[in-house]
Amino acid sequence: MDLTNVVLEAAPHFEGYVYPNEATPEPLWSVLIVIYPYITGLVAGAFIMASLVRVFRVKALEPVYRLSLLTALSFMLCATLPLLLHLGHPERSYQIMMTPHLTSPMAIFGFVYAWYLMAVLLLELWFDYRQDFVEWSQTESGFRGVLYRALMLGVTDESDKAVRLDMKLGWIISIVGIPSAFLLHGYVGFIFGSIKANPWWGNVLMPIIFILSAMVSGIAMCVLNYLILTWVRRKTIDMRCLDVMAMFLFYALVIDASIEGLDWIHRIYSAEEDFAVIRQMATEKLFYTLNIGQALCGTLLPLLMLGLIQLLRKRLPEIARKRMYFASALMIVIGVFAMRWNVVIGGQLFSKSLRGFMLYKMEFTGMEGWLVGLAVLSLPFIILVVMIKLFLSEKLPTAGHVPHDSPSV
Amino acid sequence: MRRFNLPPQVVRLVLLTIGIVGSYMVARYFLTPKSFGQYGWYRGDALMERASLPRVYAGMKACDECHSDKLQQLAKFPHKTLSCEVCHGPGGAHAKDPDVKLAVLTYGHCVRCHEANPTRPKWHKQINIREHYSGQKCTECHVPHAPSEVP
Amino acid sequence: MKKKLSRRNLLTKLGLAAAAAAAAPAAKAAKATVQKVLVTADAPKGYDPKDHKWQMVIDANRCIGCGHCAEACKTENHVPEGHYYRTWIERYIVTKPKPGSAETRGEVLVDSPEGGMRGFGPPPVPKEDIQQSFFVPKLCNLCEHSPCAQVCPVGATFDTPDGAVLVDPKYCIGCGFCIQACPYGCRFMSPVTRTAEKCTLCYHRITRGLRPACVEVCPTQSRIFGDLKHPLPDDPLQNFFKNNRVNTLKPHLGTEPRVAYAGIDKEVR
Repeated sequence: MDLTNVVLEAAPHFEGYVYPNEATPEPLWSVLIVIYPYITGLVAGAFIMASLVRVFRVKALEPVYRLSLLTALSFMLCATLPLLLHLGHPERSYQIMMTPHLTSPMAIFGFVYAWYLMAVLLLELWFDYRQDFVEWSQTESGFRGVLYRALMLGVTDESDKAVRLDMKLGWIISIVGIPSAFLLHGYVGFIFGSIKANPWWGNVLMPIIFILSAMVSGIAMCVLNYLILTWVRRKTIDMRCLDVMAMFLFYALVIDASIEGLDWIHRIYSAEEDFAVIRQMATEKLFYTLNIGQALCGTLLPLLMLGLIQLLRKRLPEIARKRMYFASALMIVIGVFAMRWNVVIGGQLFSKSLRGFMLYKMEFTGMEGWLVGLAVLSLPFIILVVMIKLFLSEKLPTAGHVPHDSPSV
Repeated sequence: MRRFNLPPQVVRLVLLTIGIVGSYMVARYFLTPKSFGQYGWYRGDALMERASLPRVYAGMKACDECHSDKLQQLAKFPHKTLSCEVCHGPGGAHAKDPDVKLAVLTYGHCVRCHEANPTRPKWHKQINIREHYSGQKCTECHVPHAPSEVP
Repeated sequence: MKKKLSRRNLLTKLGLAAAAAAAAPAAKAAKATVQKVLVTADAPKGYDPKDHKWQMVIDANRCIGCGHCAEACKTENHVPEGHYYRTWIERYIVTKPKPGSAETRGEVLVDSPEGGMRGFGPPPVPKEDIQQSFFVPKLCNLCEHSPCAQVCPVGATFDTPDGAVLVDPKYCIGCGFCIQACPYGCRFMSPVTRTAEKCTLCYHRITRGLRPACVEVCPTQSRIFGDLKHPLPDDPLQNFFKNNRVNTLKPHLGTEPRVAYAGIDKEVR
């Protein structure tokens, strides 16, 4: 072989130097893995929203209690889907539960997920809905009737004592649920934060940042869902509820922004070996998604708007407030998606040799392309619509018990 | 004495939990590979499965079985650190069946190591192929098995 | 010969059909090797993993950058074509500082065309501008505390009792977590098996008393391999530690690689 004839055949997928195994045309973890923490975050956030009613007895938020729980559930049901689709061997995924490697964050996530779905979310919903299921199963026929009857799990006791027990147990579960929700999404943060090989990810603040941004995105998603649902049903909006939601959203955003700011201050001040790469990422490679998407659109503008409303709530007309809430919630939801993108894709844009960057092209089709990503991302919304039709129907009268009063009984 | 009755919803949920945990335990019993945990948290059989992959390079010992004269010659010269398969290519198939011929050598094999390159360590013998006596095969002046000798 | 050709034709056709469906060029080339990767021959007899402790070390001073090791690795292990390497060679070029810059060094240029498996061409800068240049062979660092084995959710990658770090291709779910966790870029997702893959220390060779393919073909003994539990008389591995001051890669991560290097620069990561 003549050395002078050696030509690089493929167009390089990198600049500078990257390890040969890193010079792939697509990142190993692509848009599906961006969607995974995004969806999980929405679950945790929406659950915290519901807990405000049940545990912290924020009466004003009662109209969105069930909506936020159903939001949490519909996203929860899809949380593992992007992970499964992305696996090289999805048919072997059961092994995570059969032989979980206890030192692996991903293995423990399987159990955290199972715990959260079955021991927290479904249980809380069941206790909350049980009395209604009994009522509805008597009035409804056909598919709905069968469904409600099945969901009763054969418990038909409607006595005051039984309902009081439901409320009490629901309250206990809700209390257990708050740390569980933190655990769920903190754990997603830990999946990235535990990778010490990657300076973009390996960071003790990662779980905290994930929890906080999860709360922000979940509450914002509930605001959006509430606004859209009332608009679709041509109902009047409970302005007090919306104002209080937005207030909590503002507080959560303030904490989230300060912790993320702290993370950056720490990175800039300590300026470790990887800092040259990280600076180039923030100022060039991720300029639009990080500075424009995450910082400006996802954090600063909503902070300004929501903060302004906190100051001028009395003086702003309802319609202006509604529009501002909608706009800031939408920007936050997009901004948090940009944050997930920056974490997941950003962590794979530079070589672990810290000498170069990978150049990726996002596919439109294909397993890790935009199309599948969009489909996976829209699935929880479809599930949510079905759930709202089944469990939040206007035609079905509810027992209307007050969840936040439960501990006093 | 009043018998304590568990509320119906609690009974249902306890039964459901037992059902779920029970079926998990059963599934785990049947779906965990037999050799799992033999050496650690992995399938012990995986070791011997890896070990039983076929080999492409035969290794010097296999060459020595038939070509010990060449090896003994090689050992006297600076090329003594070379394994036969560095130049002759993978010989697993040839070692199994001598009728399978090895790849034909070209001058590229010499140049691959001996073309001058500033990154190569100074102690390593290097030539600039364009300035070095060209137009002839390397083997006309050099003996690969005895590089310090002239044919 | 005819038989072989027709089989190859069939494979090509199959490969083309698959490529048309998947439109993944790497997968197309890999299709042909899919049978080879998972095929098994006879198991080595009487090999006890607990009776050995294999280790490889690199004397970078001796590497001439011929690339035989990377090439042999691809051949021996049927590593998929393209950007997949279980071992590779990096070329480091430190240029002279600009006159008057009051610096001790210029730029550091690193490259590894095709993993170095076809050797290295002339340097990208004129010879006169080079202050220092050297080759560094890379492979799985055989960490004492392997981050890859730590994060595997199912136990499909693990440290063997005899010192290798293996992937179980029949058990790996292909999540890619280990690839992200490896600080040294030694792992990749195989398009053939759709599982993680990496250097096995040629486990199918060392269990039969053969050397790993890269060690076998290294002409300058830059790669040194041995069994810590059965040292040879005048053991090259022991001599290496006796005669050199050694370094490991990215020691600050606490992975404690067992692959030690002699003669590398601070720029090597």
